[in-house]
Amino acid sequence: MALLEVKNLTVEFGSEDKPFRAVDSVSYSVDRGEVLGIVGESGSGKSVSSLAIMGLIDFPGRVTADSLTFDGQDLLKMPAKKRRAITGKDIAMIFQDPMSALNPCFTVEAQIMEALKVHEGGNKKQRRERTLDLLNQVGIPDPKSRMTAYPHQLSGGMSQRIVIAMAIACQPRLLIADEPTTALDVTIQAQIIDLLLKLQDDSDMGLLLITHDLALVSEAANRIQVMYAGQLFESGPADSIFAAPRHPYTQALLEALPERSTGNDRLSTIPGVVPGQYDRPKGCLLAPRCRYANDHCIQDRPEVTDFNGRDVRCFYPLNDQGQPTGQTTGQTAGETV
Amino acid sequence: MSFLDTKPGVPLLESDDLVRHYDVNRGLGKPSATVKALDGVSFTLEAQKTLAVVGESGCGKSTLGRQLTLIEKPSAGQLKINGEAVGDLSDKDAKMFRRTVQMIFQNPYGSLNPRKKVGQILGEPVLLNMDHLGRKEREERVRDTMAKVGLRPEFYGRYPHMFSGGQRQRISIARALILEPKVIVADEPVSALDVSVQAQVLNLMMDLQEEMNVAYVFISHDLSVVRHIADDVMVMYLGRVAEKGPTEEIFAKPLHPYTRALLASAPKIDPAQRVKAEPLTGELPSPINPPSGCAFHKRCPFANEHCAQVRPELRMFEGREVACHRVEEIA
Amino acid sequence: MTSQNTPSTAPQNAVDDAMDTVGKPPSPFIETWNYFRKNRGAYVGLIVIAIILFVAAFATFIAPYDPILQDRTAFLKPPIWMEGADPRYILGTDAVGRDILSRLIHGAQLSVSIGVFVVIISMVTGIILGITAGYFRGWIEVGIMRLMDTMLALPSLIMAMAIVAILGPGLENAMLAIAIVQLPHYVRLSRASVVTELNKEYVIASQIAGAGHMRQMFINILPNCMAPLIVQGTLGISSAILDAAALGFLGLGAQPPLPEWGTMLAEAREFVGSAWWVITFPGLCILVTVLAFNLMGDGLRDALDPKMKR
Repeated sequence: MALLEVKNLTVEFGSEDKPFRAVDSVSYSVDRGEVLGIVGESGSGKSVSSLAIMGLIDFPGRVTADSLTFDGQDLLKMPAKKRRAITGKDIAMIFQDPMSALNPCFTVEAQIMEALKVHEGGNKKQRRERTLDLLNQVGIPDPKSRMTAYPHQLSGGMSQRIVIAMAIACQPRLLIADEPTTALDVTIQAQIIDLLLKLQDDSDMGLLLITHDLALVSEAANRIQVMYAGQLFESGPADSIFAAPRHPYTQALLEALPERSTGNDRLSTIPGVVPGQYDRPKGCLLAPRCRYANDHCIQDRPEVTDFNGRDVRCFYPLNDQGQPTGQTTGQTAGETV
Repeated sequence: MSFLDTKPGVPLLESDDLVRHYDVNRGLGKPSATVKALDGVSFTLEAQKTLAVVGESGCGKSTLGRQLTLIEKPSAGQLKINGEAVGDLSDKDAKMFRRTVQMIFQNPYGSLNPRKKVGQILGEPVLLNMDHLGRKEREERVRDTMAKVGLRPEFYGRYPHMFSGGQRQRISIARALILEPKVIVADEPVSALDVSVQAQVLNLMMDLQEEMNVAYVFISHDLSVVRHIADDVMVMYLGRVAEKGPTEEIFAKPLHPYTRALLASAPKIDPAQRVKAEPLTGELPSPINPPSGCAFHKRCPFANEHCAQVRPELRMFEGREVACHRVEEIA
Repeated sequence: MTSQNTPSTAPQNAVDDAMDTVGKPPSPFIETWNYFRKNRGAYVGLIVIAIILFVAAFATFIAPYDPILQDRTAFLKPPIWMEGADPRYILGTDAVGRDILSRLIHGAQLSVSIGVFVVIISMVTGIILGITAGYFRGWIEVGIMRLMDTMLALPSLIMAMAIVAILGPGLENAMLAIAIVQLPHYVRLSRASVVTELNKEYVIASQIAGAGHMRQMFINILPNCMAPLIVQGTLGISSAILDAAALGFLGLGAQPPLPEWGTMLAEAREFVGSAWWVITFPGLCILVTVLAFNLMGDGLRDALDPKMKR
């Protein structure tokens, strides 16, 4: 049984009659010891969906789902207090900006000990030992002297390590990392990702890695979900999803990467921008930007279907050659550049 | 003197040992410290070429950009344009300088004045530097430049908040281009953009380079973008140049241990390209109190006693410049 | 998929097309207005202010009598709903037989102009000083800001009294004194905003474009600092009215027979026990006006401050 199972999660903002769907019936599951990568551009709803799992969507946002089970218990059907106990202890989350995740008024020690006190108890001495333990675990050099440091005395990489230490303090079974390395430099990013994967492997945690970086997620994750404008567009194993994309969006995203182009040529682009609150297309959300879109795509919205063992939300999933299957008419709306 | 006259054999832009130190006040009673943000950086840039400046935050690459655009005056060293040293500029020379060197910024939201219309934002450089132009001609020039970067004429009267990040970056590019400069310093121009929009902006920059014969100093931390757009790469570490050379050679065979680590740390989508290497340990040292000898020696897997004591100078090796004592052994 | 000779406009037109189909986000003004309107208190404040402004503007036409005309047949007449009232005087008369309603209406004119002039004087001076301090930093900033700190260290009314004592009592001098007392608020506010704005890239961009100091300060930066200043200005009107009333009450502001509300209070002091209306109505007027401006200022702050928005 999956550790976390999300079925048709939808998050809406705005008025009842004209809602904005930030997340639109997204389903996924994370197993114990698995790294699931969620990748998408800004506005794809990747962060909102994880906040919804943590129960962090406040009014006026509305969260609905067929089911949202963690370890067999439906989070949506339990009382708020019980849910908070689970999301606080068994699910932990780390965010993009480590500096704002730490309280500038308290020392590292005080903050980690506070987290321990709430969820584990124990006396002061035990908690202090455990704190030292945690700092060692997240690879902080000379942890004894760092215990008494304030967040502003630490670098970005160090702060993110502290945040991770706080997150794993209660030995969560699922860790949600929302752009954990976006604010960091590449060499530090490599360190932090290595650390996260090591911790995940050691304790058999589930890890939900949310990022905009295709390369990062392809290296770190076991399975990958590609999101666009609140919808799940494609999901599949990490080693094959970028080798042979089935969804035109995944394909176009990969082609837009500089590392996929050769020499000083122009890059392939996806024309237009991600639809916002006011301009969601009637049919497939990608239709105005898709190079393969036809009238069917413009008129009707595709559902997620299984295609060669991959979940794809497209009427005409791509074959191994990167050409749409099952399409009879030629290209219409999209612009081939 | 004139910056605008090109001379044969003289590079368009030359940075000669540029130094920028900042005094940092460390509070009452403590002596103020000096941060060597830029500690002797030299390079040349030919017309129509792109030089990428690469490094992690704190390596001095943005400080370099500030010296090249005269936002700040360098503490020492010289900036030369077409062989002419840029020192204290008279008003007339300052105008000439601004028509030669312009800048594109990282943050598409902060770099456009929210209370000004697009037409006013783009018109400002023209108004201030091309006083021979009348109101009509100025507006015409703004509209021409807008067309060049792919902005529609009706955007002239709109405010920046009505645009997406990519379009704001187009406005920012148009503002840099409107004086038809020879050099544009681009400080992380695409790092705030999504992949698909980033591709649009990079293409635009490359098209404009061909069309308007402009040279770029492209400051970035993203190696794949740099590899795509740059002719030459300069890798910086703690205010100094670690390695400098043609892009393809550096990416094919990085010589400096830091360049290697950078390349190995960057995640790659293609499993074949991944380098299995130990990630770099430690972090960038504080520029207030840099390590003795080679600034990189505390993180370097190849460092020895000599590295800890003597600072390596840039020297030619295999057709490029590297600042490493042990480059012969490593290569 | 890549082709080297793609005209740079081809993909961009698609961008623009996508852009044009976007339902555009509302303009900042409309958005601010929508937020403002949701705040009921602020809305009521705005309506009350509109009424006061109307009354002030047309005081000579609305007021039934000349505010300084004395009717020797009607001293201390109560309002008309009380026994012994004179039907000609709706809110009664004061100790020398002047119509209180007419005096209040003309007083509105005085109070509003005091508020507006004081705020204009101190805001303009304050902005110039504050922007100069924040823009140039260094010893200019130290000089200006320490002077302002010193002024803030004195109780405002005492300082206003001291200034009036030097200049001599009278409405103009009182206004000047209040403007000086209010100055530090604007200086500090505009300096703080300028310092935050200075770090933004658009300022550097204009510097590279060649903008001089004056252009940077007043054309590029100032418009972006106006939101908190507008709020402070609105609140400043109410405190100016209050301070003017206080000075008037102390005999240092508007001099009799000017129908200034504070002066009216001062004149009515001795009748607190015997003729409550003489002192109550001017007091109520001050209360309502100040409250209205404060409510509107708070509403404006909420509407203009992005942090308060959902």
